[in-house]
Amino acid sequence: MKSKPSRPVFSGTNATMFKRILVAYDGSEGSKHALRAGLAIGQYFDAEICAISVEGKLPRYAATLGEVDEVERERHQYFDHIQAEATQIAAELGVELGTVVAPGSPAEIIVKTAREGKYDLIVMGHKGHSRVHQYLVGATTDRVAHLAPCSVLIVRQSADSAG
Amino acid sequence: MSAEVYLTACLWMSLALLASLISIRIGVSVALLEIGMGILGGNFLHLHITTWINFLASFGSVLLTFLAGAEIDPTLMRAKLKESIGIGLVSFLFPFAGAFAFCLFILRWKLHAAEIGGIALSTASVAVVYAVMVETGLNKTDFGKIILSAVFVTDLGTVLALGVLFANFNGYMVLFAAVTIPVVLLIPKVTRWYFSFVGNRVSEPEIKYVMVLLFLLGGLATLAQSEAVLPAYLIGVAMAGVFLQNQDLAHRTRSIAFTLLTPFYFLKAGLFVSLPAVLTSIGLIIILFLVKMATKLIGVYPISVAFHFKPRDSAYITAMMSTGLTFGTISSLFGLTHHIITQTQYTMLVTVVILSAVVPTLIGQAFFRPALPSDTQERGLGGHPADEASGARRGTPPRLAPQRALPDSET
Repeated sequence: MKSKPSRPVFSGTNATMFKRILVAYDGSEGSKHALRAGLAIGQYFDAEICAISVEGKLPRYAATLGEVDEVERERHQYFDHIQAEATQIAAELGVELGTVVAPGSPAEIIVKTAREGKYDLIVMGHKGHSRVHQYLVGATTDRVAHLAPCSVLIVRQSADSAG
Repeated sequence: MSAEVYLTACLWMSLALLASLISIRIGVSVALLEIGMGILGGNFLHLHITTWINFLASFGSVLLTFLAGAEIDPTLMRAKLKESIGIGLVSFLFPFAGAFAFCLFILRWKLHAAEIGGIALSTASVAVVYAVMVETGLNKTDFGKIILSAVFVTDLGTVLALGVLFANFNGYMVLFAAVTIPVVLLIPKVTRWYFSFVGNRVSEPEIKYVMVLLFLLGGLATLAQSEAVLPAYLIGVAMAGVFLQNQDLAHRTRSIAFTLLTPFYFLKAGLFVSLPAVLTSIGLIIILFLVKMATKLIGVYPISVAFHFKPRDSAYITAMMSTGLTFGTISSLFGLTHHIITQTQYTMLVTVVILSAVVPTLIGQAFFRPALPSDTQERGLGGHPADEASGARRGTPPRLAPQRALPDSET
């Protein structure tokens, strides 16, 4: 027989900490660490967990319709693959994971989804795929941390590995 | 085969490769970046044209035009035919007439050069618009379908003008018409039979069949002093239904085009853009760009309102119909290679075409992007109801995580 762990509460309030957790997942090593952290927190708080993957924009100013179609097809294949991978990771831990793939700007979509889905925690990896993008327009983690309507947990690989 | 051929090919393909890598990283189309690489190559690397590069580039433009026709969804064209044809025709005629008159009477270009100017600036870009439509989910609405169909109509106007205005109406034209008309009419039926007969083979009999048709009709069109892109577009339109049902064939054809042919075409298109001419003609380039925008506005906005679109939606339609890229460069390059326009005129036209790929899209998306009336239903969203408000998405709803047993909780 297994007993439920006691739920931590904020000091001075009666609020349960996290009921809906959104994990940003782009298939990178950093996001895998974030996913595992999100799943562990979700299990602990008996929370709903959803992995969101944000597809980058389609090629701007394309010369052929085929170029757009091909990129969209490749994009769908990749993101379907990584979402299946995330579901598998969750299943190995005995957790059922919700998945969402949405197009657009990652920070904007993650924040919007968190706000509209009334998530109370966003979990993200410290480093995603695109280092160049990070330098050009700022890290997605920075923008999400700044704009998010809820708590944001940024998972560093080293910390996760150590834990 | 001399080493020079291989080394020249290596240089051209390296620029194409660089364009691909940058495109992957920054999300701008590879075609636009290939034009950019061509500009750099022409102005700084002394890239030059050879006979075999000319052939690859020329066939690249033919295959590009074929794909533009073949990628039309026939069911899309049939929806809201009146609006699509009305907007598409006006979107071609007004800028064509306006830019032609401006080039002829104000800039004092020669008659045929002014015609090239009119054709190059009359275009609208299906691909530019399609990317915007897919990304916003508008491609699944009637509104988006009308815009896409209208762009196809504008393209057809451009291709017909290019194929007819400069043709010699002699015996070769009669021969070209006598072969093209029945071939185009028979293509849908014959192609279906042929494809089911040969099947999908590694020796690619399907793509070779397409190429035989393109070479044959392209050759006849060239004999008649017409342009090979005209039959290519018509063959593409005739095969559109077959291509739509056979996405694997479409994928394989694109692979060939994007790997070996279209890079040479776009690099060549950029190669003849003279940066000094851009600097000295910057004022005229801006004026020509404004002429294109103004004539699109004067034509497309009123007819959209007449079709009962709201003012904001009409402005959005106008912005989308003001885009341009592929056919703008094809017609400009046709003018240059047939010595109808000078390199300075070519530079001006191509620069305006590139501007028109970028600026109207930005304006349309920033200021006039319409709201989606039944967003979640029409775009086939999946997932948790609370998640569905954030755009076109798919997935499964989140579930409660089963609680993890603590190590000391075993009894």
